[in-house]
Amino acid sequence: MTTISLRIEFGGGLELLFSNEKRHTLTLPSMVSSDNNSKTSADALSGVNTKPADVEYLVFYLRDHLLQERPELFMESNTVRPGILVLINDTDWELEGEGEYVLQNNDEIVFISTLHGG
Amino acid sequence: MVSESCGNPSVETEAIMSRRPKYDKSKFCIKCKLNSGAIIVRHAVYCKECFPALLSYKVKRILEPQINSKPELSRKKSLKASGNLSIGFSGGLGSTVLLDLISRIYLSHRTETKKEEGVTKPRGGKDHPRNEPVWKMVSVCYVEIASGFPGMSDKTQKIHQLLQENYESLEFIPIRLENAFDLSWWDKVGGKAALDANTDLTSDELFVSTAINSPDSDPVQKLRSYISALPTPTAIESAIHTLIRILLLYTARSTQSSHLLLGTSLTSISIKLISSISQGGGFSVREEAQEEWNPDSKGAVRLIRPLQEITLKECSMWAWWNDLLVVGKEKYPRGKDGIEALTKEFIIGLERDYPSTVSTIARTCAKLAPKVDAAGLCILCERPLQPGVQEWKSQISIRATKEPSPPSHSSDPSSVLHSLTSYLCYSCHTTLSSRSSKGVSRNSANTSLPLPVWASTHLQGLLVDVAITDMQPNLKEADEEIWLTHKVNPDEMKEAIGEFLLE
Repeated sequence: MTTISLRIEFGGGLELLFSNEKRHTLTLPSMVSSDNNSKTSADALSGVNTKPADVEYLVFYLRDHLLQERPELFMESNTVRPGILVLINDTDWELEGEGEYVLQNNDEIVFISTLHGG
Repeated sequence: MVSESCGNPSVETEAIMSRRPKYDKSKFCIKCKLNSGAIIVRHAVYCKECFPALLSYKVKRILEPQINSKPELSRKKSLKASGNLSIGFSGGLGSTVLLDLISRIYLSHRTETKKEEGVTKPRGGKDHPRNEPVWKMVSVCYVEIASGFPGMSDKTQKIHQLLQENYESLEFIPIRLENAFDLSWWDKVGGKAALDANTDLTSDELFVSTAINSPDSDPVQKLRSYISALPTPTAIESAIHTLIRILLLYTARSTQSSHLLLGTSLTSISIKLISSISQGGGFSVREEAQEEWNPDSKGAVRLIRPLQEITLKECSMWAWWNDLLVVGKEKYPRGKDGIEALTKEFIIGLERDYPSTVSTIARTCAKLAPKVDAAGLCILCERPLQPGVQEWKSQISIRATKEPSPPSHSSDPSSVLHSLTSYLCYSCHTTLSSRSSKGVSRNSANTSLPLPVWASTHLQGLLVDVAITDMQPNLKEADEEIWLTHKVNPDEMKEAIGEFLLE
């Protein structure tokens, strides 16, 4: 099974939900369960529908494996909460297809919260 | 997407609507048409190189027509303000971005900028007369609110350090929220001394009593008393916003500033407009965007919000791409229960799915104007006071089952009782007299609200005017009107209203 290495960064205070660490490095399988279940083992994947790992899956993965507290501040209705910007390789994810963008090896995904106040 | 189907719902596969693209036309930058886009701003695509010029243009479009005292008809006239510049800084995203943009666009001759990409360099060099600084002096003002909430951390030092590291040539002016109840601060910014005044919040008449020697003159205690007396979390947030704004305005004037800039983004303005209107602030909807403040004709300050056409998303991207450190703002206790927090949640959600709707809120409100003229200024928020507030309120709801009576103050023979209601705008009256949804009974035992220093001064001035008018009934019957005006000192004021004091 091939894997994808990703650089994840959190900004705007979002890092407080992820062990106060701004930068993380992840390795994800290139093919994942279509229902975004990140706990499905590699063997069990053959029995379920699969898809290439995309940003939608990444968000679920981060919630299930890296998030320390308050998941409702990160995710809402199966996507990132409103007020959180996502950059894929320094580009607005709305230009790359949002959750449907298929992750590539060495991609950099940044999650920035806009809700500091201002 | 066209699907071939027989129209029979029992055999038809689910028709999937194609996703509506979040951008018009192509993924290339709408400005240069060369680079791939990096950000979508309300359906328009911009590259990273063109983005700075977009923000710069939006700031100048709002700010520059308001810089010179008189609107300039000629575009060639140079920008020259009549006074200095004050920038309100809260530590939040908007004010961080505002300070950075203003510094790059207008103050680059006095600050060391990291880079000026996208910002037009001055033609003829920085010493050309055309490129004289717009404002002679620039100060950054920060209002610390921590004293009002036990346990909240004080960020003054952190903010001072941040500003020293990044904007060392700008003067830092720290202000504290309790200054609103501090006579020494009031004197320093040129305010007239006033008697201590407290308002009783148990009735809608908001009876106010004045005392010469207040038992509790510590500004921090008065601030905490003010906050604890406010009836709801919404009222607390609204009242604090007002205190901050007025503190900044008086401070700006004391530094001979002709302009005060605040970092309210388009998103924040839309939130504030909806939140304010829901609390009865419709009469001052224009002032939410911009206001010319001069409550006592001692010198006007223009309060401008240069980021009012820039969304929170754009501010966030600017801060990220330029590595700006955002200190952040403290949240009020129970703030999430207030109207503003609920409105913010709604607007932020709306902005993600329907970005143009948020700008529509601000643009629509900008077209509104009150039908009637203001009847003076509210003594609390110093915004236009609409006539007939109490008549309207008495028509739309029953607030009390019996006539309100002034509270007795027999323990303080020097106190004077008046109703505050006719001196407050609808919004401020609602803030002070609102009822929690949990019932009429208040959570806090404290129902006596000390008035901020400016409100006491305005009230005193207005009561003296009323007293002088009442003392001269004979003139109404004379053939000729005789007007005599002179400035009164505190002793004369006391003498003028002496017959109304309870001895």
